[in-house]
Parts: sequence; structure tokens; C-alpha cells
Amino acid sequence: MFERFTDEARTTVRLAQEEARRLRHPYIGTEHLLIAMAVVGHGPAAEALREHDVTADDLRRRVIATVGPPEDALDPDALATLGIDLEIVRQVTEASFGPGALDSRSQKAAKSGHIPFAKRSKKVLELSLRESLRLGHKDIGTGHMLLGLLREGEGLAAQILVARGVNLTDLRDDVTRRIAPEAA
Amino acid sequence: MNDGVQLAREASSRDPAVGLRAVRALRELAERLEALQVGNARDQGWSWQEIAVCLGVSRQAVHKKHGSGRRILGKER
Repeated sequence: MFERFTDEARTTVRLAQEEARRLRHPYIGTEHLLIAMAVVGHGPAAEALREHDVTADDLRRRVIATVGPPEDALDPDALATLGIDLEIVRQVTEASFGPGALDSRSQKAAKSGHIPFAKRSKKVLELSLRESLRLGHKDIGTGHMLLGLLREGEGLAAQILVARGVNLTDLRDDVTRRIAPEAA
Repeated sequence: MNDGVQLAREASSRDPAVGLRAVRALRELAERLEALQVGNARDQGWSWQEIAVCLGVSRQAVHKKHGSGRRILGKER
């Protein structure tokens, strides 16, 4: 399924899995795909999201607010009220002790397990292929993935974007302009 | 970090729910850091006594908390 995905798109899929793992969710949902698109930082999807002021941190917060934090999770928002930036704590501990140094035992145990795609995420990936074909492109990039996600339209990712005040039509036009100026 | 500033302002609202949640978060973070540092100290050959002195707790307390769990996980590899 991933043969035609660009490196960036593959990275995004891998990061989506990491996001799910980090939030200790047992599936890769559209929300994890969306966060991953923002995390990647470059390419059409990331640029379009940035243009609409959508950041990975904000998305994570909203996902947690919607589905609830995992049981013994670190709570970055609560730490921020004390002036503690969890990301910085994470960075410095990982610099000394390696990736996942701050993870709890149960998280470490979950590290190795395979996390499956949720139904809607599979749909998003299929739709990204269709978006690529529709535009007459050979590869599937992050832009096509975001278009697929927007076309699926009913996952948590789309809901969060709407709650965030993002106009999905504008976002779709914006991404399309970036990957296929002639089609926009 | 605008959200942080906003959250800090919320914290000064004296809302117990905000303050208590922050304490809980800090405790969880401290627990993670303690487990990490104790594990590292043991890996470097520190005795429970030495670790206990640094943490300001009794040797029994630190051993009880970190000793058995790590053995169960087969940490003494």
C-alpha cells in the first residue's frame, strides 16, 4: 500500500504511529495522522496547517481533551501552570538517557507492540491515493494525505480542525494550491 | 508560548482544580525522573545506601520502591 508514498509521507505515517504510542492509544486514528502532518514540519500538509495556525501541540491538547489523557500520563498543561515546559524536560532527559527515557514502565512495555490503523485512518490512506490519481500525480505525498483526511471528513481530526475554527474548504484549497497549482 | 502564559494566569486564579492537577503532574514527573536516576545510579554501581543519602530518604525506602520492581523486570541484566 505504501509503495507510492513519498519519503515525507512515509515519515508522517511512522510519526502517526509514534503519536498513538505516546498518547498510549491502541490504534492510529485520523487525529494521529493529523498531528504527524504538523510534526513533520515541512512539505505541503505541514505548510498548509501552519498557514492556518494549526500546531502539533495544540492538536495534542485537543485530542487529549476529547478522548481523555492516558491513566498515568505526564500532564504538560498542568506542568505549564508551574512554568515547567515538559518538552524541554523530555529533550534534556532524552539527550542523556536516550529516546523514551521519561516514559513510564507501562509505556516502555507498550513500546514494541504493533499499533493498527483505525478504520477511518485506512480510509484516509485510500483516499490519499485517490486524490493523487485525481490530480494526475505519480506519488502520494503529505498534501494528498491531508486532502484524503479532509475528504473523509468525519474522523476526530476533522472534528478537531472544525472546533479549532479552521475552514476545511479553505484548507483544502490551500493544500491543493501547493501541490497542484493548475487544479486550484 | 501563549498557551503557557494563559495557563499560568489560570493557575493564579486560585482554582483548586488547577492547582491540585499541577501538583499531581509534578509528582508524576518527579516519579519518572526518580526511577530514571535511580536506575542509572544502580547501573553505575551505586549502592542503595548512596542513592538513599542523595535522595534524602532511608535505604529501606529507596530499595523497597525501586529494588523489587526492577528485579521483576529483569533489570539486573
